[in-house]
Amino acid sequence: MIRGAAPAILAAVGCIALQALLGEWAFFGYLASLVGVNVILAVSLNVINGMTGQFSIGHAGFMAVGAYTGGILSLATAQDRIGVLPEVVSDQLFLVGSLCAGGTVAALCGLIVGLPSLRLRGDYLAIVTLGFGEIIRVIVQNTQALGGALGLSGVPQRAGFGMVWFWVFLVVLMARRLAASPHGRSLWAIREDEVAAEAMGVDTTSYKVRAFVLSSFFAGVAGALFAHFVPIVNPGSFTFVKSMEIVVMIVAGGLGSTTGAFTAAVFLTLLPEGMRSLFTTLGGGDPSLAQKVDQVRMPIYGVLLVLIMLTRPQGIFGTHEAWDAVARWRKKARA
Amino acid sequence: MYGFLQHLINGLAAGTIYALVALGYTMVYGVLKLINFAHGDVMMVGVYVGYAVAFLMGREHFGTFAGVMLVFLVSMLACAAFGLLIERFAYRPLREKPRLTSLITAIGISFALSYGFQLDLAVNLGGTSYTLLPGAASRAFPEIIVPNQWFEFGSDDQSVIIWNWQVISFLIAAALMVGLQLLVFKTRFGRAMRAVSFDHRVAALLGIPVDRVIAGTFMLGSALAACAGLLYAIKDTSVQPLMGMYIGLKAFVAAVIGGIGNVPGAVVGALALGLCEEFVVGYTSSSWRDAVAFGFLILVLLAKPEGLFGRVQAEKV
Amino acid sequence: MSDAPLLEVKNVSIRFGGLKALSNFSLEVRKGDLKGLIGPNGAGKTTAFNALTGVYPPTEGAVVVGGVQINRKASEGQGLFSRGAMRPFEINRLGLARTFQNIRLFKQLSALDNVRVAIIARTAPLFSAERTYRMKVAGGFSKFAGRTLETINNYLDWWRAFFRTPGFLREEAEVTARADELLQVMGLSHRRDELARNLPYGEQRRLEIARALGTGPKVLLLDEPAAGMNTREKGDLMVLIRELKDRFGLGILLIEHDMKLVMGICEQITVLDHGETIATGTPAEVRADPKVIEAYLGEAPGAAA
Repeated sequence: MIRGAAPAILAAVGCIALQALLGEWAFFGYLASLVGVNVILAVSLNVINGMTGQFSIGHAGFMAVGAYTGGILSLATAQDRIGVLPEVVSDQLFLVGSLCAGGTVAALCGLIVGLPSLRLRGDYLAIVTLGFGEIIRVIVQNTQALGGALGLSGVPQRAGFGMVWFWVFLVVLMARRLAASPHGRSLWAIREDEVAAEAMGVDTTSYKVRAFVLSSFFAGVAGALFAHFVPIVNPGSFTFVKSMEIVVMIVAGGLGSTTGAFTAAVFLTLLPEGMRSLFTTLGGGDPSLAQKVDQVRMPIYGVLLVLIMLTRPQGIFGTHEAWDAVARWRKKARA
Repeated sequence: MYGFLQHLINGLAAGTIYALVALGYTMVYGVLKLINFAHGDVMMVGVYVGYAVAFLMGREHFGTFAGVMLVFLVSMLACAAFGLLIERFAYRPLREKPRLTSLITAIGISFALSYGFQLDLAVNLGGTSYTLLPGAASRAFPEIIVPNQWFEFGSDDQSVIIWNWQVISFLIAAALMVGLQLLVFKTRFGRAMRAVSFDHRVAALLGIPVDRVIAGTFMLGSALAACAGLLYAIKDTSVQPLMGMYIGLKAFVAAVIGGIGNVPGAVVGALALGLCEEFVVGYTSSSWRDAVAFGFLILVLLAKPEGLFGRVQAEKV
Repeated sequence: MSDAPLLEVKNVSIRFGGLKALSNFSLEVRKGDLKGLIGPNGAGKTTAFNALTGVYPPTEGAVVVGGVQINRKASEGQGLFSRGAMRPFEINRLGLARTFQNIRLFKQLSALDNVRVAIIARTAPLFSAERTYRMKVAGGFSKFAGRTLETINNYLDWWRAFFRTPGFLREEAEVTARADELLQVMGLSHRRDELARNLPYGEQRRLEIARALGTGPKVLLLDEPAAGMNTREKGDLMVLIRELKDRFGLGILLIEHDMKLVMGICEQITVLDHGETIATGTPAEVRADPKVIEAYLGEAPGAAA
């Protein structure tokens, strides 16, 4: 157990150190956090869309659930402190509490959405998750306690990029260990041939639902993290466009490859950000050109999906993983 | 009482429009087992074509039978061609690949269309500016059927109104649905469609031109969608790029509720959804409209996942 | 009790629309049995297998596996609130495993992983899988309790996998060892780490059997295990199947086209034609049956040699 948790503990230490070193550099912190949140979203979505071969296109909905749950909790406890601890530590503990709560509520939503739709064929999930995203948006917009269409502001900005990247590490570790566990093997089997998996004693529905719950949990955490470093949380951040962005990431990276999801998430987050600043500079500080570029992004995503499917459906990495390559290379080196 | 009747009428009118779109989903699902995500967006393209035709035709032809027919026919033909193109270049190459690839492609096309149409793109040729892409703003749809109260019942503050466009769309939709039912069950093409839907490999072995049947199904579905889209635009008096996605999703929900792949089921599901939406909105608030369909869907999937009229289909082993 | 049939099929019929694909099919498999199911193409053999394993619920009749009836009426759907027929995985866990006529391996998984998927860790963390399944099968409140215990088990399994607890690692080692053993029995050890789709055809068929054995069955249903093999491979396979039966204490029911082979190894044979059972008996009895000869039209055992 201790040995099993060792990588996570090491990662926590590393993240704290990095945060202490680079914490003052605001632009870097913001960008790194943004990238981190997208990586968490992509890697977690890959569990259900890639490893299990189902297709959810409402990940942003779960992100929203996490963001609002975490945000509301932190707003309510903004003034509270655990007396004996230094303020930073106490704040971070409250933050972790909010993150876990956000993840848990999102996971429950995942259960509610997954149970009816995952008993059916994969494409039903696509519709139901899309619908779920819409329902969440409508509910948030109609609930004054959540800030309605204006959004939630004043959530304490407690999440540094160190915290975000600690969760990035956790989600990657989770994905890797899942893939190599009996649970993960069953998911691969479902992806390959659902009828055969069922005939071999795999309770396909239960496995799919649990994979979906896990995926939703991390989406919720990503949302809660997001709520703690952006100034305003509003429904506009969790639209269908956001869900599609994540889908494009994992499809481009290669459905089923955590490495692919990670790489594509980093690249596809930095690229538009880079373009935006580039075009703002080109336009002499006028943001309208950058906005134009931003608009073009979405149709390009759509075309990109079609082109990838027509030419290279396995994406960049297929189902290969960086750590497998490393293991093979080390084996070769030893021989 | 009057309120109830009014909601009933509005709900039925909305339901018939959903039904036309739902038929497209159900037919394509029947032959290809593919949820054609882009169906709603094809519809949206059709509405913009109709908008352009009406605009070019000029105001003086609005409300005339010939004018309305022209708008509908051109838009339906354009959509049929567009559906054919999508099938030929995006779906056909993937037909033997895993089902997920076509699903992702369909999502991609849908996304490209609905957000592509939100761009502002115009070219300047010889001093005139031609709009290529309409932009995100919602535009007023020309009143090609001049709205007029066909029937009014009751006193001023409590009355039931039936609009002429409600009657017209109901009639058009009903005629198309009856026609479709005849086509599927009484013609050679319909028989081929049913054979392909049963098993397209076996159908091919029996000499049925599978490619042509599938292409035909797409054209038919797209044309129906264009018609539905125009009716919707007339009802809403507006057109915007995201309308396809929303109406398409609701129509899909309707098809699932009725039992996907089942033609009468899609119609019943669509009417049920139209009524349900109208009553919820009528008695609560219009901001909940978009949530109704999906709530309904989740309930149906929980209680009867194969839909009201569908049968559980075991995969062939 | 030990002689109770492991698999009991009573008057099972299946209709697809108006077509009767199988009618009044009855059969028993006990421990140590090696029975054959033969018949011309389209006779309903694979349909019979699908009915037994829960792919298509029978329209009429009863299928009893290990003393538990697996089917309810076909008309009952699979809604959350309605009790439908047992799902294939539940039937599998009662001790009925199968192979597929058109090989359905997990193509992108290694041979080892194909078998490991089947060996569900039966030593669940808290409550034994056997127990939860029996509870679920019993129905009523017991079913609910069984489901709850199973869910707890499932989620505990996760944590063990994420934290790589000693228990988890030990279990993984056991599962891997068992899978290796099965691969060796089927003569596939040299293919251990290769992807299933890269295996030659005959080995894919053997891997299917290894995978089915991984689920720890009491009864094994083999759907044309020798299809596409040459005469020598077929002979070897049949010897192997008989060995498997004795080694694992199985009852085996197999579908095969090659009459000579079936006659050679099966103790009892059921002949289907157009969904009807036209003959049942020892190979000698079946061979002499005029109805069988007629059904095969010159493909009589003598001529097939």
